[in-house]
Amino acid sequence: MNANTGKVIRVDLNTGVVSIETLPEDNYREYVGGSGLAAKYFWEKGDFNADALSPEAMLIFMNGPFSGLKLSGASRNSVAGRSPLTGHWADSSCGGFFAPELRYAGYDGIVLTGKSPKPSVLLIEDDKISIVDGTEYWGKGIEEVTKELRNKHGKTCRTVTIGPAGENLVKFACIMNEGHHTFGRTGFGAVMGSKNLKAIVVKAAKKEMTLADPEKYEELRKELNAKIKDALASNVLHENGSAANLGGGAFTGDVPIKNFTSNFWEEVTDALSGPTLTDKYLTKRGACAYCAIACKRVVEVKEGPWTIPEGPGPEYETIVAYGSLMGSLDLAAVCKANRICNDMGMDTISSGVTIAWAMEAFEKGDLTEADTDGIQLNWGDMETVINIVLPKIVKREGNLGALLAEGSVSAAEKIGKDSINYTTQSKGLEAPMHDPRGGGHGMALTYAMSARGACHVADPMLFVEMGSCYYPEIGFEFELEPMTDVNKPEAAVISIELGCIENSACFCQFADREVSIPEWVELFNTVPGYNWDAQDMMNAGRRIFYLKRLMNYRYGLTAKNDELTPRMLEPARDGEPQGIEINFTGMKEKFYELMDMDPEKGIPSKAALNECGLSQEAANVW
Amino acid sequence: MEYWKNPEECVTAVKKMWEEVEKDVELREGARKVNQLILFDYTESGPGCAVWVDCRNGAYAIGTGIPSETPDLTMSLSADDAHRSWSNKLNPVMAITRKKIRVKGSATGLLKLAPKLKKVAVIYEKVLTDLGWADKIMK
Repeated sequence: MNANTGKVIRVDLNTGVVSIETLPEDNYREYVGGSGLAAKYFWEKGDFNADALSPEAMLIFMNGPFSGLKLSGASRNSVAGRSPLTGHWADSSCGGFFAPELRYAGYDGIVLTGKSPKPSVLLIEDDKISIVDGTEYWGKGIEEVTKELRNKHGKTCRTVTIGPAGENLVKFACIMNEGHHTFGRTGFGAVMGSKNLKAIVVKAAKKEMTLADPEKYEELRKELNAKIKDALASNVLHENGSAANLGGGAFTGDVPIKNFTSNFWEEVTDALSGPTLTDKYLTKRGACAYCAIACKRVVEVKEGPWTIPEGPGPEYETIVAYGSLMGSLDLAAVCKANRICNDMGMDTISSGVTIAWAMEAFEKGDLTEADTDGIQLNWGDMETVINIVLPKIVKREGNLGALLAEGSVSAAEKIGKDSINYTTQSKGLEAPMHDPRGGGHGMALTYAMSARGACHVADPMLFVEMGSCYYPEIGFEFELEPMTDVNKPEAAVISIELGCIENSACFCQFADREVSIPEWVELFNTVPGYNWDAQDMMNAGRRIFYLKRLMNYRYGLTAKNDELTPRMLEPARDGEPQGIEINFTGMKEKFYELMDMDPEKGIPSKAALNECGLSQEAANVW
Repeated sequence: MEYWKNPEECVTAVKKMWEEVEKDVELREGARKVNQLILFDYTESGPGCAVWVDCRNGAYAIGTGIPSETPDLTMSLSADDAHRSWSNKLNPVMAITRKKIRVKGSATGLLKLAPKLKKVAVIYEKVLTDLGWADKIMK
């Protein structure tokens, strides 16, 4: 086997037994790696009846075939399993440094089940794997624990850690690598917390990989690294981070304001944009392993109420979630909230969306002071958010903390009235900070079709509608107008297949945009040696999408769950998209037809499954 | 060329447009914030078919042809695509992806101006009308 090692570490935290499992080589070619391979593994060996936070729940970290390459964008990996936030299949990816180190240590993944009798740390040093006492770290923030782990196990080790939010089973708790890179979405920090696993430390003696065709790969690597580094988008991202074009997005109506009640607030273009973050607070830029783009921000706020020392800075999603979405233009407050969420281990999207929803609920009177322990939740009041609400959520303290720590859907179901209608989510996952009404109607479709719920990185539809995708080799030559439904289902099919490949290959979506289809195929053929043509690759993408549909069906999801909330589909009240209807039902019906999916069950037809090589799986659901 | 009789027509229209942009306080100040020497290079449609705008250090100067100093940002495209672009009928991201527009240098400043392109398109349309080229206006 090349690039992939074929080996995953299985850890039973109940007993402390560690074993090494070898995966069939065919699984790699059929499911690529990352979230696709994790889905296949879970389908075969996971317990679909297990509650996400029970000891029986399975949590899977999985690398892609490119993890460890000295190639921009290649150093991500996935964590996957049943989400405690949504209750169904989910995966979440992370950049940083963990994936390469795990590969160098000799493994493609880690599979965790059980619950450790006491707080613990999983320590991987090549073939020496042990579960060690983690009591000293329990209750501490991620920044401190990361430092302590590196002091103890050496500066060359790599870590993933949860914070107090994960320990307290906050449903949108995240997992952090080196305190800066995040497995942000769907709450897998709580799953680690439920297993009493505070951290995983990995240390490899050598940094070597075997490749299918090292010479051809090296030639390709040089070309791709140069192309990715020199690309216009890379330069913009390097200079001003993922919020570089927040200003442009604000004018098109892509940036949500006050819980998606507005699509235009001109002041955000100056107050919250990437260039403003650069000018005011940036101290240096950061990068994932081997990446030349270096889009990560390192910031320091030196004065005012939100001072923070130099450390990880906010991404676009956080800036909007803790800025305009809450009715605030205070970028320093965003930096502070980001630092707290990172340290406590909480997803900034789900936490921000849940708080913004609570602000609207409070304004409407659906959420009362009896629900909030007497705290007033007002638009733009970041002092209350930072000093009171966030600590309460982390500790699940009082009525408010207990309510919001469950996420917006659970909170809305609890308080009732019509508050579920103004949640902004699909399948229970809070929507990211791109409003499909202004960002592009196709995104409404792909948010709803994403297996894990509303997601802008499950596939590249955001970039597709922006115009930055052009793949004539696979018939993708659409010239799309964002605010229409024209050709959107057709584009979504290809976008979703590509997204499944990207997320299973664990490749960064920023770097991905510079990689052509023939280059993708060549990467797969020279690195793991899958011996593919473009059609084989796209088939793998569709196979992965189909398998995830089947998994969610086993969790009880059907076509009815492929929806967005009324708030996200009502015509925008202002800005560029004002008054424009989204033809969501029409797009969905066409997409189902193109993907040969059953309009009630929401799963592919038996024939479609058979054609994709999923006949055994089909037998399970048809 | 689809829209121009000769490269000079394109240069005349784009230069005049930037002169009119200067008269709009918001756009002028927006351009000054970009603080760059920007070259719009349309020479693939004919020699000398280029316009530059120098917004460095609070200045606002316009010229034609290739500037003597190295531009901070060069956008290279055909004269016809320039017409589509200033008419706000060309998705710049799509055009860059499909190599219709080639960008050299830092585009960060230009991102600040991107949201104003609709307003620039209105000025461009008026310029075409004033020049007696209303037939070139894209509907």
